[in-house]
Parts: sequence; C-alpha cells; structure tokens
Amino acid sequence: MSLVETPLMKSLARYLDVTAYRQGVVSANIANLDTPGYRARDINFQQELNKALEAPDAPVAPRPQEVPGLLERPDGNSVSMDREGLLLAQTQLQFTTGVALLRSELKRISMAIQEDKGQ
Amino acid sequence: MNLFGMMEVSASALGAERVRAEVVTSNLANAESTRTPEGGPYKRREVVFAAQRPSFALSLASAGAGGRDAGSTGVRVRDVVTDTTSPLVKYEPSHPDANADGFVAYPNINPVNELADLMGASRAYEMNISAITAAKQMIQQSIEILK
Repeated sequence: MSLVETPLMKSLARYLDVTAYRQGVVSANIANLDTPGYRARDINFQQELNKALEAPDAPVAPRPQEVPGLLERPDGNSVSMDREGLLLAQTQLQFTTGVALLRSELKRISMAIQEDKGQ
Repeated sequence: MNLFGMMEVSASALGAERVRAEVVTSNLANAESTRTPEGGPYKRREVVFAAQRPSFALSLASAGAGGRDAGSTGVRVRDVVTDTTSPLVKYEPSHPDANADGFVAYPNINPVNELADLMGASRAYEMNISAITAAKQMIQQSIEILK
C-alpha cells in the first residue's frame, strides 16, 4: 500500500470501473433499440463487483449476458425502452455516488497532509 | 469499454436514426411523385438496421487495457430497401402520366405509417441523446476529481 492510496480508494475505483462498464452495456442496448434480432444484454452488477474487488489487479472484464424474461417484439428485438432508461439514470447516480466518495477520501488525505502547515 | 466508447456507440445510433428519419421524410415528400429517373412512380424506401462490431480503434484500446469488449455494439444502417408492393392506381385520364386506359400509378405510401415511423426515429434519437448526456456528465465528474 502506498502512502496516498488507501484500500477504500482502490475499491471505489473498481466500483467506478464496473459502473462505467454497465453504463456502456446500457447505451449499446439503447443504440440497438430498433435493430431486428438484437437481444438486450446486461451484467450481474453484484457478482461482477465482487469479482473485481477480489482480484484488484486484474482488468475489469465483466461478461454481459442476455437479459431473460423480456418481452420480445415480432422482429426479435427485446430491448425495453423503460428498462434501459431507468438503468441509465440509476447507473449514472451510482457513478456520481462513487465519485463523491472518492473525492471525500482524497480530501481527507489532503487534509492530513496539510495539517502541519498551520503551525 | 471506457466512457468515450459509450459515446461512440450512442453516436452511431444517432447517425442511423437520422438516416431513418431522412428516408421517411423522402417517402412523405414523394407520396405523389409519378415520375422518377428510373421510370414509373416513386417507390417507398425502408432502412434496415444491423448491430455493428466495435470499431478498430475501440477494440485496440480495450485490448491494450486487457479487457474484452463484448459490451460495445453500435448500430449501422445495413441497407435501404425498396418496397416492392404494387403502386396505387387511380383513374385520372387528364393526367400526363396516365396510361392508355386513363389510369395513373401513384406510390403506395401511407402517411400514417410514415409519420409513426418518423416518431419512432425521433424518440430513439432522444433516448440516445440522453445516453450521451449521461456519458458526458460521467466524464465531467471524473475530471472534477482532479479539482
């Protein structure tokens, strides 16, 4: 562990990675809203986050899978606009939370460094 | 996939939806065209979308980061097909394009169908704009960590 990188920061970085990846999968679904035969995909967030936290040095490589139980249109497309819109907003908020926590952690370290200056 | 890759995916969809809207408006504009350079009345056109493999630059970036890039599939217009249904025939003997029996062939275009398609394209466009806005805000937030 380095001086300025706390374990929490590392975990938060992994959290942000998985969140950003999921957001990418969601935007791919939205992009293919009208592609015949396209199946909506998603990652198991909890599972992928655990995997990313357990192996902190391995690259984040989640496995997007077809979402089961979605209504399929006659052209074979299973993207639901409501589901994706909701996930888009939710994932963005998750990302915002992660960034806010990371910033407060950095602030804490910066405070610890500057503590000495006042005296 | 990084956040910029997300924007690239959504941008591909913006382009594809715009082509779709263009094709629909051209159908509407030519709803009464009885003459075309290739002869006969205008024929209704339709776009075919296909999922797109990630671009070379994106795949290279993700391979460099050691990750697989199964998540990023943009969309592209694979084809613009011509509707082959027979034209609408109206009896207008005074029309310059009337045949010997006085019938004129008009394009088989239903404005209601076209407008519904146009609305679909416009909604999908908006949805992708939302995705781009989300990606933009996430990038902005990441930059603000530095401040």
